[in-house]
Amino acid sequence: MPHLKTAYAKYQGDPTVAFLLISIDEDTARLQRYLTEMKFPFPVARAAAADTEQVMRFDNIPSTFYVDRDGIVRYQIGGNESHGDSPARVSWFIDQLKSR
Amino acid sequence: MQTHRTFLTVVAGALWAGSLFAQTPAREQLVRGRTLWDQRLAKSAIAALEAAARDRTTAAEAHEMLGRIYMFKGWQQDNVFPGWHDEPSYRERALAELRAAVAADPARVSAQEALRVADGLAAAEKVDPAPPRDEVKALDAKLESYRNAASAPVTEILAAIDARAKAQADPAPYFSGAQLLIDRGELDRAIAMAERGAAVSDRFIDENLSAYQMSGKSQGSYARGRSSAADLIGWALFLKKDYKAAAAKLEEAERLSQSLDFANQIHLGELARAQNAPERAREHYLNALSLSGGPPPLRQRATQALSGMPRSTPDASFDAWLETELSRRRDERKAAALKSLVDRPLPKLTLTTVDGRPYDTSSLRGKVLLVNFFASW
Repeated sequence: MPHLKTAYAKYQGDPTVAFLLISIDEDTARLQRYLTEMKFPFPVARAAAADTEQVMRFDNIPSTFYVDRDGIVRYQIGGNESHGDSPARVSWFIDQLKSR
Repeated sequence: MQTHRTFLTVVAGALWAGSLFAQTPAREQLVRGRTLWDQRLAKSAIAALEAAARDRTTAAEAHEMLGRIYMFKGWQQDNVFPGWHDEPSYRERALAELRAAVAADPARVSAQEALRVADGLAAAEKVDPAPPRDEVKALDAKLESYRNAASAPVTEILAAIDARAKAQADPAPYFSGAQLLIDRGELDRAIAMAERGAAVSDRFIDENLSAYQMSGKSQGSYARGRSSAADLIGWALFLKKDYKAAAAKLEEAERLSQSLDFANQIHLGELARAQNAPERAREHYLNALSLSGGPPPLRQRATQALSGMPRSTPDASFDAWLETELSRRRDERKAAALKSLVDRPLPKLTLTTVDGRPYDTSSLRGKVLLVNFFASW
């Protein structure tokens, strides 16, 4: 998760890019503690776990979706793929979509 | 005389009654079929009309109606409702139904007209609107001929690439040109050529954007052009023994091609082997072989490389092991493709804020969006 914060720094002032975290936690107190600790600079929403898995059709947590301006998913990175640990990779995906 | 006339009347009456009984269900089917089609309930409409077509009295009307439905399905239904597409397999059937309608009732003007329209559509279908120009074909052939002409001077090849690129603005000559240059060891020139190819590919798609009907198609084409360029550049860098830069480019091509490009997987395999990472090399070779396509000599090379590597189940025969590994990969790919949301709209989810109020997503519309699902545990 820290890598998302690092990657976000590059787009903080960019009105064409948005980050959204969606938590599937059920324990509100625990989630609150985590968010206080992490201090994410972008919005965090919540969704029901069962609902999410059915609608998004994934069974990997965490999972990242990169969505273009038209609302179409262009890249989907499942939990155990070694994608996301690098802010450079995150911004590579975003820059691909920004340049289209 | 008197008896005779009575007899005739009786016969005529019997005929009338007989046809009346046969006609009613057929006509009912015809009316039903038409109503169902007005509601765009195609399958039920077709079933009813097929029944009506079997009766002589309603055959012409029913065949015409079926012909019109199939005409619509074959040529005209693209995007009439979201997700609908033309079904070319219906085109022959449309013509056959309309011909049957005219045969059943040669005086039926509406059927003749429909048949004329369908014939016109079928004729237009056979005309290639933009056959490849002879000039482009000749220039492509010339470029291709350098593949087996090892002694041809590089300047000549560059001129041939240029000439082909001027004739038609698609990126193909840059990519095949870059490959020719790699084959000749002209690695820096190959890299420059592939970079130009990437830019040309973007431009070609931009210029013809409306030709790509679905946004997924144009996005896929952008990615294909960029992926070809990144793979060629990465391969040239590999041959220059700059493994670090090669890895960056080859991995970029892998992301763009979603690991589905044969040559790219082979290149990644070779790179891993050169970097003494046999496990990674094995994965890439297996990925490559599990994809269709790829020139036979390269497939053979990959198989050979694999046969010399340690295996997870050393007691099984190599062929059996390879077949198991390849079919597992194919199955996994199929399953992943079915579940993947790539190139589909982001599904609607019911979101709340952290303290449980409805979450408003309107500020996210029209933006490039990263959505990350996580759990704090």
